[in-house]
Amino acid sequence: MKRLPFVFVTLVFSGCNSAPKPEKAKVPVSTTAPKVEYFHVDAATAGAVHGRVSFAGKKPVRKKIDVSEDPMCAKMHAAGLYDESVVVNPNGTLANVFVYVKQGLEGKTFEPSKEPVVIDQKGCRFAPRVFGIQTGQPLNVVNSDPVTHNIHPLAQVNRAWNQSQDPQTEPLKRRFLQREVMIRVKCNIHSWMRAWIGAVEHPYFAVSAQPDGSFELPNLPPGDYTIEAWHEVYGVQEQKITVKPSGKEDVSFTFKGE
Amino acid sequence: MEPTPRTSSQPAAWAPLFVIVLSAVSCSSPKEAAKAPPPAGPVGTPIEIPVPLGLPPVAAPANNKPTVETVALGKKLYYDTKLSADDTVSCASCHGPAHGFTDGSPVSTGVGGKQGGRSAPTVLNAAYSPVQFWDGRAASLEEQAGGPIANPIEMNLPHEAAVRKLNADGEYPKLFEKAFGPGPATIEKVQMAIASFERTVISGNSPFDRYQFGGDKKALSPAAARGLAIFKDAAKGNCVKCHTIDDKYALFSDGKFHNLGVGMNAEGELADLGRYTQTKVEADKGAFRTPTLRNIAQTAPYMHDGSAKTLRRVVDFYVGGGNSNPQLDKDIKKLELSGREREDLVAFLESLTGEIPKEVLSQ
Repeated sequence: MKRLPFVFVTLVFSGCNSAPKPEKAKVPVSTTAPKVEYFHVDAATAGAVHGRVSFAGKKPVRKKIDVSEDPMCAKMHAAGLYDESVVVNPNGTLANVFVYVKQGLEGKTFEPSKEPVVIDQKGCRFAPRVFGIQTGQPLNVVNSDPVTHNIHPLAQVNRAWNQSQDPQTEPLKRRFLQREVMIRVKCNIHSWMRAWIGAVEHPYFAVSAQPDGSFELPNLPPGDYTIEAWHEVYGVQEQKITVKPSGKEDVSFTFKGE
Repeated sequence: MEPTPRTSSQPAAWAPLFVIVLSAVSCSSPKEAAKAPPPAGPVGTPIEIPVPLGLPPVAAPANNKPTVETVALGKKLYYDTKLSADDTVSCASCHGPAHGFTDGSPVSTGVGGKQGGRSAPTVLNAAYSPVQFWDGRAASLEEQAGGPIANPIEMNLPHEAAVRKLNADGEYPKLFEKAFGPGPATIEKVQMAIASFERTVISGNSPFDRYQFGGDKKALSPAAARGLAIFKDAAKGNCVKCHTIDDKYALFSDGKFHNLGVGMNAEGELADLGRYTQTKVEADKGAFRTPTLRNIAQTAPYMHDGSAKTLRRVVDFYVGGGNSNPQLDKDIKKLELSGREREDLVAFLESLTGEIPKEVLSQ
């Protein structure tokens, strides 16, 4: 019985001793929080890379997709829904090629854009099918269809996630934090739906356009770069270029079909 | 949507089935009587609740075996808006027969237009659930019945006020005496009576039951029969893993809690922690009690937050493999089901609309 108060006293003391520790720890944490120095491009010397992606060979025949998994999707595509893994433009260029600066920006940290990139689930397709996003930039997932969709990015470097989305619900907000070229995206509910996301830690990425196959990487600081072009069927190609102060460099890629 | 109970294969009324077992069960034993204060207990005519095809017997606590009088009193209370602060909301407002004993809304509206975050679960076959509420916070129907009466966003009537109101009423005091013997109404008696009534709100003898337990192979359409096979197939739907079907009956619920990832906010976080709010166990985050699927075609919208409007959307949600989150149940996986198989599952779910005794409906 006599020992009891003593025990209490030590407990209280140890409590007092330990209590200020987190307080102390808090101070350095807040003051030494890593302050990121973002790189700012000098407009006076900034250059650009532009170009176009050509397609050589026989234009593949687009396959008709079986949409019987969902009668609502079938209804939206009475004339049939066709595979979009290869989209050759009327002028012979190739669309949906992801082009980005693979090397040459090391040591520079770019502030993530606050402008959300939007991926829509519309007509039982992902739109756009191929797009880039800066690491840390918001991704808004929208469902414009009258059916339940599911978006499942099969990320390997970033955290993979899987989310179903009912019609008329608020956009899902997500981010990717690591470079990953590319992240394959599927819909677990509609097996034909595909998208590809290129997540890079800078703003120098583009997708070759419909209908002319062009792309542009503007406001690029002068330097030596490796530019990579990626296509979901035809793989990757890269080219080394030098961007001179205020230089406009032309880079073209050609993917060959069968 | 009005459930039209078909009584062709069931007695029109229960009266002939009432089994008189008298004092042995309902009277307190000498041991219990020695305790203070003596617990309230029914004093009327005990009944055996008739059980339709496909359901097990209805169990009741030893101190609250259903009687003609407690069930009748419970029914009156269940449908009476007097149990709310401003006489506008009854139990049936949110758990009404027109919507399979739910209210047809994503979340319910209580006194003064107040809304909560969860969808009203059906009272149908709640008698068989080991725990009540989506998060299981009540261990019995008796305990559950007290919750919404006092809840500020539901009926908003503190228990003392509710009891005062009933004791001042022209009809209730004599009904309480008939049901529980001399003495005024107490909240305990209110809860016991409502629970006894709810034990009679059961649904069975659906086309599924006649097919599965009654040997009537024509009771299900070919699509519904295929749907049942998918429902049971571990490599297809595997729905029975949680929505159970036993050898002699089917409750369509394991009475446990599972996380499907329903109710994620825009940022991908669980908006409602469900079972975790009761247990503080990490693995229970976002887990909710498996609901019965009885009369599911009448109880849209679905899920604990009422987020799924149709059965097809529920099926699609499961096909998608739920929503990823750290506590996602290990049995929730992407399902490989063709479009027809998904429609078959919906057809099967629609075959679960059973008979509800007409005695439980409001007059």
